[in-house]
Amino acid sequence: MAWLSLCAGTTLLLLSVMIWWNFQELLYGKNENDSLGNSFIILSKSVTNDNMGRPDLTVFSQSEIIALSNAPQVQDVGVLTSNRFPAYIALNANMDFSSEIFLEAVPDRFIDKKPLEWNWQQGNREIPIILSREFLNLYNYGFALSQGLPQLSQSSIQALAFDLVLGSPELRETYSARVVGFSDRITSVLVPQSFIEFANEKYGRNAAAFPSRLILNVKDPSNTHFVQFLESKNYATNAEQLRWNKVRAVVEVIASATGLLAILLMGISVLVFVLFIELTIARAQQSLSLLLQLGYDPGYLRKFMMQRFIPLMLAAIVVAVIFAAIAQWLASIFIVRMNLQLPALPGFPVWIAVFLSIVLLVLQIRISVIKAMKSI
Amino acid sequence: MEIILQQLAPTPLKDKITENSSDVWKKTLSFHKGEHVFIQAPSGTGKTTLIHILYGLRTDYEGEVHWDGKLLNGMNETQQAHLRAGFLSVVFQDLRLFSEFTTWENLEIKRTLTNTVAQQRVEEMLQRLGILEKKNALAKTLSYGEQQRVAIIRALLQPFDWLLMDEPFSHLDSVNIDKAVSLIAEVSAANNAGIILADLERNDYFLYHKKLFL
Repeated sequence: MAWLSLCAGTTLLLLSVMIWWNFQELLYGKNENDSLGNSFIILSKSVTNDNMGRPDLTVFSQSEIIALSNAPQVQDVGVLTSNRFPAYIALNANMDFSSEIFLEAVPDRFIDKKPLEWNWQQGNREIPIILSREFLNLYNYGFALSQGLPQLSQSSIQALAFDLVLGSPELRETYSARVVGFSDRITSVLVPQSFIEFANEKYGRNAAAFPSRLILNVKDPSNTHFVQFLESKNYATNAEQLRWNKVRAVVEVIASATGLLAILLMGISVLVFVLFIELTIARAQQSLSLLLQLGYDPGYLRKFMMQRFIPLMLAAIVVAVIFAAIAQWLASIFIVRMNLQLPALPGFPVWIAVFLSIVLLVLQIRISVIKAMKSI
Repeated sequence: MEIILQQLAPTPLKDKITENSSDVWKKTLSFHKGEHVFIQAPSGTGKTTLIHILYGLRTDYEGEVHWDGKLLNGMNETQQAHLRAGFLSVVFQDLRLFSEFTTWENLEIKRTLTNTVAQQRVEEMLQRLGILEKKNALAKTLSYGEQQRVAIIRALLQPFDWLLMDEPFSHLDSVNIDKAVSLIAEVSAANNAGIILADLERNDYFLYHKKLFL
Protein backbone atom coordinates (compact mmCIF):
# COMPACT_ATOMS: atom_id res chain seq x y z
CA MET A 1 0.00 0.00 0.00
CA ALA A 2 2.75 2.38 0.99
CA TRP A 3 4.59 1.50 -2.18
CA LEU A 4 1.48 2.09 -4.28
CA SER A 5 0.90 5.44 -2.64
CA LEU A 6 4.50 6.47 -3.21
CA CYS A 7 4.17 5.30 -6.80
CA ALA A 8 0.94 7.27 -7.27
CA GLY A 9 2.39 10.36 -5.60
CA THR A 10 5.54 10.31 -7.70
CA THR A 11 3.55 9.67 -10.86
CA LEU A 12 1.30 12.63 -10.13
CA LEU A 13 4.28 14.82 -9.35
CA LEU A 14 6.02 13.87 -12.58
CA LEU A 15 2.82 14.26 -14.58
CA SER A 16 2.21 17.72 -13.18
CA VAL A 17 5.80 18.74 -13.87
CA MET A 18 5.24 17.38 -17.34
CA ILE A 19 1.97 19.28 -17.80
CA TRP A 20 3.68 22.45 -16.68
CA TRP A 21 6.67 21.83 -18.93
CA ASN A 22 4.50 20.95 -21.91
CA PHE A 23 2.59 24.18 -21.46
CA GLN A 24 5.88 26.03 -21.35
CA GLU A 25 6.94 24.24 -24.51
CA LEU A 26 3.68 25.10 -26.24
CA LEU A 27 3.59 28.66 -24.98
CA TYR A 28 7.20 29.74 -25.07
CA GLY A 29 9.10 26.84 -26.64
CA LYS A 30 11.31 26.98 -29.69
CA ASN A 31 9.01 24.62 -31.57
CA GLU A 32 7.03 26.33 -34.22
CA ASN A 33 3.70 25.92 -32.59
CA ASP A 34 0.82 27.70 -34.08
CA SER A 35 -0.84 30.68 -32.42
CA LEU A 36 -0.01 29.70 -28.88
CA GLY A 37 2.01 31.23 -26.19
CA ASN A 38 3.43 34.65 -26.69
CA SER A 39 0.67 36.20 -28.64
CA PHE A 40 1.23 37.81 -31.96
CA ILE A 41 -1.09 40.60 -32.84
CA ILE A 42 -1.40 42.69 -35.94
CA LEU A 43 -1.54 46.37 -35.25
CA SER A 44 -2.73 49.14 -37.47
CA LYS A 45 -3.97 52.66 -36.93
CA SER A 46 -7.72 53.02 -36.83
CA VAL A 47 -9.07 54.58 -39.97
CA THR A 48 -11.37 57.38 -38.83
CA ASN A 49 -13.28 60.06 -40.63
CA ASP A 50 -10.47 62.47 -39.87
CA ASN A 51 -7.62 60.50 -41.38
CA MET A 52 -9.60 58.94 -44.26
CA GLY A 53 -7.94 59.56 -47.57
CA ARG A 54 -4.69 60.58 -45.98
CA PRO A 55 -2.51 57.46 -46.05
CA ASP A 56 0.38 59.31 -44.45
CA LEU A 57 -1.65 59.47 -41.22
CA THR A 58 -2.28 55.73 -41.00
CA VAL A 59 1.33 54.63 -41.24
CA PHE A 60 3.79 54.11 -38.44
CA SER A 61 6.78 56.38 -38.20
CA GLN A 62 10.19 55.14 -37.00
CA SER A 63 9.72 56.84 -33.64
CA GLU A 64 6.31 55.27 -33.19
CA ILE A 65 7.79 51.84 -33.90
CA ILE A 66 10.50 52.45 -31.29
CA ALA A 67 7.87 53.63 -28.80
CA LEU A 68 5.89 50.46 -29.45
CA SER A 69 8.83 48.18 -28.93
CA ASN A 70 9.29 49.79 -25.52
CA ALA A 71 5.59 49.51 -24.66
CA PRO A 72 4.52 47.26 -21.77
CA GLN A 73 4.46 43.51 -22.57
CA VAL A 74 5.84 44.01 -26.09
CA GLN A 75 8.75 41.69 -26.82
CA ASP A 76 9.27 42.13 -30.52
CA VAL A 77 7.98 44.36 -33.28
CA GLY A 78 7.97 43.40 -36.93
CA VAL A 79 7.04 45.40 -39.97
CA LEU A 80 4.62 44.10 -42.57
CA THR A 81 6.21 45.12 -45.85
CA SER A 82 3.67 45.40 -48.63
CA ASN A 83 4.11 45.44 -52.38
CA ARG A 84 4.49 48.74 -54.11
CA PHE A 85 3.80 47.37 -57.58
CA PRO A 86 0.75 45.91 -59.31
CA ALA A 87 0.34 42.14 -58.91
CA TYR A 88 -2.04 39.69 -60.53
CA ILE A 89 -2.50 36.07 -59.79
CA ALA A 90 -3.84 33.62 -62.34
CA LEU A 91 -4.51 29.93 -62.26
CA ASN A 92 -1.79 28.38 -64.34
CA ALA A 93 -4.15 25.96 -66.10
CA ASN A 94 -7.02 28.35 -66.56
CA MET A 95 -6.29 31.89 -67.57
CA ASP A 96 -9.92 32.84 -66.94
CA PHE A 97 -9.27 32.80 -63.27
CA SER A 98 -7.24 35.82 -62.39
CA SER A 99 -7.31 38.45 -59.76
CA GLU A 100 -5.40 41.46 -58.62
CA ILE A 101 -3.84 40.78 -55.30
CA PHE A 102 -1.62 42.37 -52.73
CA LEU A 103 1.43 40.76 -51.18
CA GLU A 104 3.01 41.30 -47.82
CA ALA A 105 6.07 39.99 -46.03
CA VAL A 106 7.07 39.73 -42.39
CA PRO A 107 10.36 38.70 -40.87
CA ASP A 108 10.49 34.89 -40.65
CA ARG A 109 10.47 34.87 -36.85
CA PHE A 110 6.86 36.08 -36.90
CA ILE A 111 5.55 33.26 -39.05
CA ASP A 112 3.55 30.76 -36.98
CA LYS A 113 4.41 27.63 -38.88
CA LYS A 114 7.26 27.96 -41.28
CA PRO A 115 6.90 25.47 -44.17
CA LEU A 116 10.00 23.72 -45.44
CA GLU A 117 9.72 25.42 -48.83
CA TRP A 118 9.69 28.84 -47.21
CA ASN A 119 12.70 30.47 -48.83
CA TRP A 120 13.47 32.47 -51.88
CA GLN A 121 16.71 33.51 -53.44
CA GLN A 122 17.29 35.85 -56.29
CA GLY A 123 16.90 33.96 -59.54
CA ASN A 124 14.24 31.57 -58.24
CA ARG A 125 11.18 31.67 -60.48
CA GLU A 126 8.91 29.94 -58.00
CA ILE A 127 7.48 32.01 -55.18
CA PRO A 128 6.14 30.32 -52.02
CA ILE A 129 3.01 31.86 -50.55
CA ILE A 130 1.49 31.58 -47.11
CA LEU A 131 -2.20 32.30 -47.23
CA SER A 132 -4.34 33.39 -44.34
CA ARG A 133 -6.70 30.62 -43.39
CA GLU A 134 -9.35 33.30 -43.05
CA PHE A 135 -9.11 34.05 -46.78
CA LEU A 136 -9.62 30.39 -47.59
CA ASN A 137 -12.68 30.34 -45.34
CA LEU A 138 -14.02 33.50 -46.95
CA TYR A 139 -13.66 31.87 -50.35
CA ASN A 140 -15.07 28.48 -49.33
CA TYR A 141 -18.05 29.68 -47.32
CA GLY A 142 -18.73 33.09 -48.77
CA PHE A 143 -17.59 33.22 -52.32
CA ALA A 144 -17.62 29.70 -53.73
CA LEU A 145 -21.14 28.86 -52.56
CA SER A 146 -22.68 32.01 -53.97
CA GLN A 147 -20.76 31.88 -57.28
CA GLY A 148 -21.22 28.17 -57.87
CA LEU A 149 -17.47 27.59 -57.69
CA PRO A 150 -15.95 24.47 -56.13
CA GLN A 151 -14.98 24.58 -52.50
CA LEU A 152 -11.29 23.87 -52.05
CA SER A 153 -9.47 21.98 -49.36
CA GLN A 154 -6.09 23.15 -48.04
CA SER A 155 -4.28 20.35 -49.80
CA SER A 156 -6.00 20.98 -53.13
CA ILE A 157 -5.04 24.65 -52.97
CA GLN A 158 -1.47 23.63 -52.23
CA ALA A 159 -1.52 21.40 -55.30
CA LEU A 160 -2.49 24.27 -57.63
CA ALA A 161 0.15 26.10 -59.61
CA PHE A 162 -0.47 29.81 -60.00
CA ASP A 163 1.06 32.41 -62.24
CA LEU A 164 2.11 35.53 -60.46
CA VAL A 165 2.28 38.49 -62.77
CA LEU A 166 4.19 41.42 -61.38
CA GLY A 167 4.89 45.00 -62.48
CA SER A 168 3.35 47.66 -64.63
CA PRO A 169 2.79 46.99 -68.36
CA GLU A 170 6.19 48.41 -69.39
CA LEU A 171 8.08 45.95 -67.09
CA ARG A 172 5.96 42.91 -66.54
CA GLU A 173 7.22 39.49 -65.54
CA THR A 174 5.53 36.23 -64.71
CA TYR A 175 6.61 33.98 -61.86
CA SER A 176 5.07 30.75 -60.80
CA ALA A 177 3.62 30.68 -57.32
CA ARG A 178 2.47 27.97 -54.98
CA VAL A 179 0.64 28.08 -51.68
CA VAL A 180 2.91 26.28 -49.23
CA GLY A 181 1.13 26.97 -45.98
CA PHE A 182 -1.68 28.63 -44.12
CA SER A 183 -1.54 31.08 -41.28
CA ASP A 184 -3.91 31.83 -38.47
CA ARG A 185 -1.78 34.63 -37.25
CA ILE A 186 -1.48 37.05 -40.11
CA THR A 187 -4.45 37.95 -42.24
CA SER A 188 -2.58 38.48 -45.48
CA VAL A 189 -0.99 36.93 -48.53
CA LEU A 190 2.60 36.40 -47.42
CA VAL A 191 5.66 35.94 -49.56
CA PRO A 192 9.25 35.70 -48.30
CA GLN A 193 10.74 38.96 -47.10
CA SER A 194 13.71 38.58 -49.47
CA PHE A 195 11.36 38.36 -52.41
CA ILE A 196 9.28 41.40 -51.56
CA GLU A 197 12.41 43.49 -51.07
CA PHE A 198 13.74 42.36 -54.41
CA ALA A 199 10.42 42.94 -56.18
CA ASN A 200 9.81 46.35 -54.61
CA GLU A 201 13.25 47.37 -55.81
CA LYS A 202 12.67 46.05 -59.31
CA TYR A 203 9.00 46.77 -60.02
CA GLY A 204 8.24 49.37 -57.37
CA ARG A 205 6.71 52.61 -58.51
CA ASN A 206 7.22 54.82 -55.53
CA ALA A 207 9.86 55.19 -52.88
CA ALA A 208 9.89 53.06 -49.77
CA ALA A 209 6.90 53.95 -47.64
CA PHE A 210 6.37 53.66 -43.92
CA PRO A 211 4.57 50.48 -42.91
CA SER A 212 0.85 50.65 -42.21
CA ARG A 213 0.67 47.38 -40.35
CA LEU A 214 2.95 45.99 -37.67
CA ILE A 215 3.15 42.57 -36.11
CA LEU A 216 3.83 42.46 -32.39
CA ASN A 217 5.04 39.66 -30.22
CA VAL A 218 3.31 40.38 -26.94
CA LYS A 219 3.72 38.50 -23.70
CA ASP A 220 0.21 39.06 -22.45
CA PRO A 221 -2.06 41.11 -24.71
CA SER A 222 -4.81 41.04 -22.11
CA ASN A 223 -2.57 43.04 -19.79
CA THR A 224 -4.40 46.23 -18.88
CA HIS A 225 -1.35 48.49 -19.28
CA PHE A 226 -0.88 47.22 -22.78
CA VAL A 227 -4.55 47.64 -23.65
CA GLN A 228 -4.49 51.20 -22.27
CA PHE A 229 -1.40 51.95 -24.30
CA LEU A 230 -3.13 50.81 -27.49
CA GLU A 231 -6.23 52.85 -26.70
CA SER A 232 -4.26 55.99 -25.92
CA LYS A 233 -2.50 55.75 -29.30
CA ASN A 234 -5.73 54.87 -31.10
CA TYR A 235 -4.23 51.67 -32.48
CA ALA A 236 -6.54 48.95 -33.72
CA THR A 237 -6.08 45.26 -33.27
CA ASN A 238 -7.99 42.05 -33.19
CA ALA A 239 -10.07 41.86 -30.01
CA GLU A 240 -10.53 38.10 -30.38
CA GLN A 241 -6.84 37.66 -29.76
CA LEU A 242 -7.16 39.56 -26.50
CA ARG A 243 -10.01 37.35 -25.38
CA TRP A 244 -8.09 34.14 -26.12
CA ASN A 245 -5.42 35.39 -23.83
CA LYS A 246 -7.82 35.43 -20.92
CA VAL A 247 -8.46 31.76 -21.60
CA ARG A 248 -4.73 31.22 -21.66
CA ALA A 249 -4.31 32.90 -18.30
CA VAL A 250 -6.96 30.61 -16.85
CA VAL A 251 -5.19 27.59 -18.32
CA GLU A 252 -1.92 28.71 -16.74
CA VAL A 253 -3.60 29.06 -13.36
CA ILE A 254 -5.03 25.56 -13.73
CA ALA A 255 -1.60 24.21 -14.67
CA SER A 256 -0.05 25.80 -11.58
CA ALA A 257 -2.90 24.53 -9.41
CA THR A 258 -2.25 21.02 -10.74
CA GLY A 259 1.37 21.45 -9.71
CA LEU A 260 0.42 22.53 -6.20
CA LEU A 261 -1.97 19.64 -5.88
CA ALA A 262 0.72 17.23 -7.06
CA ILE A 263 3.20 18.57 -4.51
CA LEU A 264 0.55 18.10 -1.83
CA LEU A 265 -0.11 14.53 -2.95
CA MET A 266 3.61 13.84 -3.12
CA GLY A 267 3.86 15.11 0.45
CA ILE A 268 1.08 12.78 1.55
CA SER A 269 2.61 9.79 -0.20
CA VAL A 270 6.02 10.52 1.32
CA LEU A 271 4.26 10.62 4.69
CA VAL A 272 2.65 7.24 4.01
CA PHE A 273 6.02 5.83 2.98
CA VAL A 274 7.65 7.22 6.12
CA LEU A 275 4.92 5.61 8.22
CA PHE A 276 5.55 2.38 6.34
CA ILE A 277 9.25 2.63 7.21
CA GLU A 278 8.45 3.32 10.85
CA LEU A 279 5.95 0.48 10.98
CA THR A 280 8.39 -1.95 9.38
CA ILE A 281 11.11 -0.99 11.85
CA ALA A 282 8.67 -1.14 14.74
CA ARG A 283 7.69 -4.65 13.64
CA ALA A 284 11.34 -5.63 13.43
CA GLN A 285 12.16 -3.81 16.64
CA GLN A 286 12.74 -6.96 18.68
CA SER A 287 15.00 -8.49 16.09
CA LEU A 288 16.88 -5.25 15.58
CA SER A 289 17.45 -4.73 19.27
CA LEU A 290 18.59 -8.34 19.63
CA LEU A 291 21.06 -7.82 16.77
CA LEU A 292 22.37 -4.73 18.55
CA GLN A 293 22.73 -6.80 21.72
CA LEU A 294 24.66 -9.44 19.81
CA GLY A 295 27.16 -6.78 18.79
CA TYR A 296 25.91 -5.68 15.40
CA ASP A 297 26.95 -2.13 14.59
CA PRO A 298 23.99 0.27 14.57
CA GLY A 299 25.42 1.92 11.45
CA TYR A 300 25.47 -1.44 9.71
CA LEU A 301 21.86 -2.12 10.74
CA ARG A 302 20.77 1.32 9.51
CA LYS A 303 22.43 0.62 6.19
CA PHE A 304 20.79 -2.77 6.07
CA MET A 305 17.35 -1.25 6.69
CA MET A 306 17.93 1.50 4.14
CA GLN A 307 18.90 -1.09 1.58
CA ARG A 308 15.49 -2.63 2.07
CA PHE A 309 13.60 0.60 1.46
CA ILE A 310 15.67 2.21 -1.27
CA PRO A 311 14.97 -0.45 -3.94
CA LEU A 312 11.24 -0.12 -3.13
CA MET A 313 11.49 3.64 -3.54
CA LEU A 314 13.49 3.33 -6.76
CA ALA A 315 10.96 0.85 -8.14
CA ALA A 316 8.15 3.31 -7.40
CA ILE A 317 10.04 6.06 -9.21
CA VAL A 318 10.85 3.84 -12.19
CA VAL A 319 7.15 2.96 -12.52
CA ALA A 320 6.26 6.64 -12.24
CA VAL A 321 8.81 7.52 -14.94
CA ILE A 322 7.34 4.82 -17.19
CA PHE A 323 3.86 6.26 -16.65
CA ALA A 324 5.14 9.75 -17.36
CA ALA A 325 6.93 8.62 -20.51
CA ILE A 326 3.80 6.87 -21.76
CA ALA A 327 1.71 9.96 -20.98
CA GLN A 328 4.17 12.19 -22.80
CA TRP A 329 4.20 9.89 -25.79
CA LEU A 330 0.39 9.80 -25.91
CA ALA A 331 0.27 13.58 -25.52
CA SER A 332 2.74 14.04 -28.36
CA ILE A 333 0.58 11.85 -30.61
CA PHE A 334 -2.65 13.50 -29.53
CA ILE A 335 -1.33 17.02 -29.91
CA VAL A 336 -0.31 16.43 -33.53
CA ARG A 337 -4.02 16.28 -34.36
CA MET A 338 -4.27 19.87 -33.15
CA ASN A 339 -1.44 20.93 -35.42
CA LEU A 340 0.90 21.34 -32.48
CA GLN A 341 4.15 19.65 -31.66
CA LEU A 342 5.44 18.17 -28.42
CA PRO A 343 8.54 16.05 -27.84
CA ALA A 344 7.84 12.31 -27.56
CA LEU A 345 9.98 11.98 -24.43
CA PRO A 346 9.69 13.85 -21.13
CA GLY A 347 11.94 16.87 -21.05
CA PHE A 348 14.69 17.86 -18.68
CA PRO A 349 12.45 19.42 -15.95
CA VAL A 350 10.87 15.98 -15.57
CA TRP A 351 14.32 14.39 -15.18
CA ILE A 352 15.28 17.08 -12.70
CA ALA A 353 12.08 16.26 -10.77
CA VAL A 354 13.03 12.56 -10.87
CA PHE A 355 16.52 13.33 -9.63
CA LEU A 356 15.27 15.62 -6.86
CA SER A 357 12.65 13.06 -5.81
CA ILE A 358 15.32 10.39 -5.51
CA VAL A 359 17.66 12.65 -3.52
CA LEU A 360 14.87 13.84 -1.21
CA LEU A 361 13.46 10.36 -0.70
CA VAL A 362 16.88 8.88 0.07
CA LEU A 363 17.41 11.64 2.63
CA GLN A 364 13.92 11.10 4.03
CA ILE A 365 14.46 7.33 4.28
CA ARG A 366 17.78 7.94 6.03
CA ILE A 367 16.19 10.33 8.51
CA SER A 368 13.26 7.99 9.16
CA VAL A 369 15.49 4.95 9.63
CA ILE A 370 17.84 6.81 11.99
CA LYS A 371 14.86 8.13 13.95
CA ALA A 372 13.13 4.77 14.12
CA MET A 373 16.34 2.97 15.12
CA LYS A 374 16.95 5.50 17.89
CA SER A 375 13.74 4.45 19.55
CA ILE A 376 14.93 0.84 19.81
CA MET B 1 40.84 -6.21 29.41
CA GLU B 2 40.20 -5.14 32.97
CA ILE B 3 36.79 -4.41 34.49
CA ILE B 4 36.50 -1.89 37.32
CA LEU B 5 33.29 -1.29 39.26
CA GLN B 6 33.13 1.86 41.36
CA GLN B 7 30.38 2.40 43.93
CA LEU B 8 27.90 0.74 41.60
CA ALA B 9 24.24 0.91 42.69
CA PRO B 10 21.24 0.36 40.42
CA THR B 11 18.60 3.04 40.92
CA PRO B 12 15.68 0.60 41.56
CA LEU B 13 17.66 -1.18 44.31
CA LYS B 14 19.32 1.88 45.78
CA ASP B 15 17.28 1.93 48.95
CA LYS B 16 17.66 -1.79 49.64
CA ILE B 17 21.44 -1.70 49.52
CA THR B 18 23.03 -1.04 52.87
CA GLU B 19 26.71 -0.50 53.66
CA ASN B 20 27.73 -4.11 54.14
CA SER B 21 24.92 -6.10 52.61
CA SER B 22 26.69 -6.88 49.33
CA ASP B 23 30.18 -7.69 48.04
CA VAL B 24 29.47 -5.89 44.77
CA TRP B 25 26.98 -3.03 45.14
CA LYS B 26 28.47 0.23 46.39
CA LYS B 27 31.93 -1.36 46.43
CA THR B 28 35.00 -0.77 44.33
CA LEU B 29 36.09 -3.94 42.58
CA SER B 30 38.34 -4.89 39.73
CA PHE B 31 38.32 -8.07 37.66
CA HIS B 32 41.42 -9.01 35.69
CA LYS B 33 41.61 -10.73 32.37
CA GLY B 34 41.44 -14.50 32.66
CA GLU B 35 39.81 -14.46 36.10
CA HIS B 36 36.86 -16.70 36.87
CA VAL B 37 34.35 -14.81 38.98
CA PHE B 38 31.26 -16.32 40.56
CA ILE B 39 28.51 -14.08 41.82
CA GLN B 40 25.98 -15.73 44.07
CA ALA B 41 22.79 -13.78 44.00
CA PRO B 42 19.55 -14.77 45.74
CA SER B 43 16.36 -13.67 44.03
CA GLY B 44 15.74 -9.95 44.00
CA THR B 45 19.30 -8.87 44.69
CA GLY B 46 19.84 -7.63 41.12
CA LYS B 47 21.72 -10.49 39.44
CA THR B 48 20.31 -9.91 35.98
CA THR B 49 20.54 -6.16 36.54
CA LEU B 50 24.28 -6.51 37.21
CA ILE B 51 24.84 -8.59 34.06
CA HIS B 52 22.86 -6.06 32.00
CA ILE B 53 24.79 -3.15 33.50
CA LEU B 54 28.12 -4.86 32.72
CA TYR B 55 26.91 -5.57 29.17
CA GLY B 56 25.80 -1.97 28.70
CA LEU B 57 22.09 -2.65 28.35
CA ARG B 58 21.08 -0.64 31.41
CA THR B 59 22.09 2.84 32.35
CA ASP B 60 19.85 3.41 35.37
CA TYR B 61 22.56 3.17 38.00
CA GLU B 62 24.86 5.26 40.12
CA GLY B 63 28.60 4.73 40.17
CA GLU B 64 30.83 3.76 37.30
CA VAL B 65 31.78 0.76 35.19
CA HIS B 66 35.10 0.88 33.35
CA TRP B 67 36.08 -1.47 30.58
CA ASP B 68 39.84 -1.26 30.14
CA GLY B 69 39.83 2.23 31.62
CA LYS B 70 36.98 3.41 29.41
CA LEU B 71 33.76 4.54 31.03
CA LEU B 72 31.00 2.23 29.77
CA ASN B 73 28.39 4.95 30.03
CA GLY B 74 30.52 7.27 27.94
CA MET B 75 30.72 4.92 24.97
CA ASN B 76 28.59 5.60 21.95
CA GLU B 77 26.53 2.90 20.20
CA THR B 78 29.28 2.07 17.73
CA GLN B 79 31.93 1.71 20.45
CA GLN B 80 29.57 -0.53 22.41
CA ALA B 81 28.91 -2.62 19.31
CA HIS B 82 32.68 -2.93 18.85
CA LEU B 83 33.06 -4.02 22.48
CA ARG B 84 30.28 -6.60 22.18
CA ALA B 85 31.48 -7.98 18.88
CA GLY B 86 35.11 -8.51 19.85
CA PHE B 87 35.67 -8.45 23.60
CA LEU B 88 32.53 -9.25 25.52
CA SER B 89 30.14 -12.14 25.07
CA VAL B 90 27.05 -13.03 27.04
CA VAL B 91 24.58 -15.80 27.82
CA PHE B 92 21.36 -14.07 28.83
CA GLN B 93 19.11 -15.56 31.46
CA ASP B 94 16.21 -15.24 29.04
CA LEU B 95 18.43 -16.59 26.20
CA ARG B 96 17.19 -14.12 23.57
CA LEU B 97 17.18 -16.31 20.48
CA PHE B 98 15.42 -15.41 17.23
CA SER B 99 12.43 -17.66 17.76
CA GLU B 100 11.41 -17.66 14.07
CA PHE B 101 14.87 -18.75 12.94
CA THR B 102 16.42 -22.20 13.09
CA THR B 103 19.18 -23.20 15.46
CA TRP B 104 21.70 -22.94 12.65
CA GLU B 105 20.47 -19.51 11.54
CA ASN B 106 20.64 -18.22 15.10
CA LEU B 107 24.24 -19.35 15.30
CA GLU B 108 25.12 -18.05 11.84
CA ILE B 109 23.85 -14.56 12.77
CA LYS B 110 26.48 -14.44 15.48
CA ARG B 111 29.20 -16.35 13.64
CA THR B 112 29.11 -14.18 10.50
CA LEU B 113 29.41 -11.01 12.60
CA THR B 114 33.12 -11.64 13.16
CA ASN B 115 33.65 -14.77 11.05
CA THR B 116 36.34 -16.01 13.40
CA VAL B 117 34.93 -19.49 13.95
CA ALA B 118 34.57 -22.05 11.17
CA GLN B 119 31.18 -23.59 10.42
CA GLN B 120 32.69 -27.03 10.98
CA ARG B 121 33.64 -25.97 14.50
CA VAL B 122 30.05 -24.85 15.15
CA GLU B 123 28.75 -28.27 14.10
CA GLU B 124 31.28 -29.86 16.39
CA MET B 125 30.01 -27.72 19.29
CA LEU B 126 26.40 -28.73 18.50
CA GLN B 127 27.54 -32.33 18.48
CA ARG B 128 29.29 -31.97 21.83
CA LEU B 129 26.23 -30.47 23.50
CA GLY B 130 23.97 -33.07 21.89
CA ILE B 131 21.79 -30.82 19.79
CA LEU B 132 23.21 -31.39 16.31
CA GLU B 133 19.98 -33.07 15.23
CA LYS B 134 18.17 -29.83 16.15
CA LYS B 135 20.31 -27.86 13.72
CA ASN B 136 17.44 -27.09 11.35
CA ALA B 137 14.66 -26.86 13.91
CA LEU B 138 13.07 -23.50 14.59
CA ALA B 139 14.28 -22.02 17.88
CA LYS B 140 10.72 -21.73 19.17
CA THR B 141 10.21 -25.48 18.80
CA LEU B 142 13.20 -26.33 21.00
CA SER B 143 12.86 -27.18 24.66
CA TYR B 144 14.17 -24.55 27.08
CA GLY B 145 17.18 -26.74 27.85
CA GLU B 146 17.96 -27.05 24.16
CA GLN B 147 17.57 -23.30 23.68
CA GLN B 148 19.94 -22.76 26.58
CA ARG B 149 22.59 -24.86 24.85
CA VAL B 150 22.10 -22.93 21.60
CA ALA B 151 22.53 -19.67 23.53
CA ILE B 152 25.74 -20.99 25.12
CA ILE B 153 27.20 -22.05 21.77
CA ARG B 154 26.18 -18.68 20.27
CA ALA B 155 28.13 -16.87 22.98
CA LEU B 156 31.26 -18.79 22.01
CA LEU B 157 31.19 -17.90 18.29
CA GLN B 158 33.18 -14.68 18.60
CA PRO B 159 36.49 -13.62 20.09
CA PHE B 160 36.04 -12.40 23.68
CA ASP B 161 37.99 -11.27 26.72
CA TRP B 162 35.07 -11.76 29.06
CA LEU B 163 32.12 -14.11 29.03
CA LEU B 164 29.11 -13.03 31.09
CA MET B 165 26.66 -15.75 32.06
CA ASP B 166 23.36 -15.36 33.85
CA GLU B 167 22.05 -18.68 35.19
CA PRO B 168 23.40 -20.45 32.08
CA PHE B 169 22.62 -24.01 33.18
CA SER B 170 19.28 -23.52 34.92
CA HIS B 171 17.48 -26.01 32.65
CA LEU B 172 20.24 -28.54 32.10
CA ASP B 173 20.82 -31.87 33.81
CA SER B 174 24.19 -32.54 35.40
CA VAL B 175 25.51 -34.53 32.40
CA ASN B 176 24.72 -31.70 30.04
CA ILE B 177 26.06 -29.13 32.48
CA ASP B 178 29.38 -30.96 32.51
CA LYS B 179 29.51 -31.00 28.72
CA ALA B 180 28.68 -27.30 28.54
CA VAL B 181 31.16 -26.36 31.26
CA SER B 182 33.95 -28.25 29.54
CA LEU B 183 33.18 -26.55 26.20
CA ILE B 184 33.01 -23.09 27.79
CA ALA B 185 36.23 -23.69 29.75
CA GLU B 186 37.97 -24.86 26.60
CA VAL B 187 36.90 -21.94 24.44
CA SER B 188 37.54 -19.31 27.11
CA ALA B 189 40.98 -20.77 27.77
CA ALA B 190 41.69 -20.57 24.06
CA ASN B 191 40.62 -16.92 24.15
CA ASN B 192 42.52 -16.40 27.41
CA ALA B 193 39.25 -14.93 28.61
CA GLY B 194 37.69 -14.29 31.99
CA ILE B 195 34.29 -15.57 33.12
CA ILE B 196 31.67 -13.87 35.21
CA LEU B 197 28.93 -16.31 36.14
CA ALA B 198 25.94 -15.26 38.19
CA ASP B 199 23.62 -17.82 39.71
CA LEU B 200 21.19 -18.28 42.55
CA GLU B 201 22.95 -21.13 44.30
CA ARG B 202 26.58 -21.76 45.14
CA ASN B 203 28.30 -24.06 42.59
CA ASP B 204 31.71 -25.28 41.52
CA TYR B 205 31.29 -25.56 37.78
CA PHE B 206 34.52 -23.69 37.20
CA LEU B 207 37.61 -23.04 39.24
CA TYR B 208 36.63 -19.65 40.56
CA HIS B 209 39.22 -17.07 41.53
CA LYS B 210 36.61 -14.91 43.19
CA LYS B 211 33.30 -15.74 44.77
CA LEU B 212 31.17 -12.75 45.59
CA PHE B 213 27.83 -12.42 47.29
CA LEU B 214 25.50 -9.92 45.70
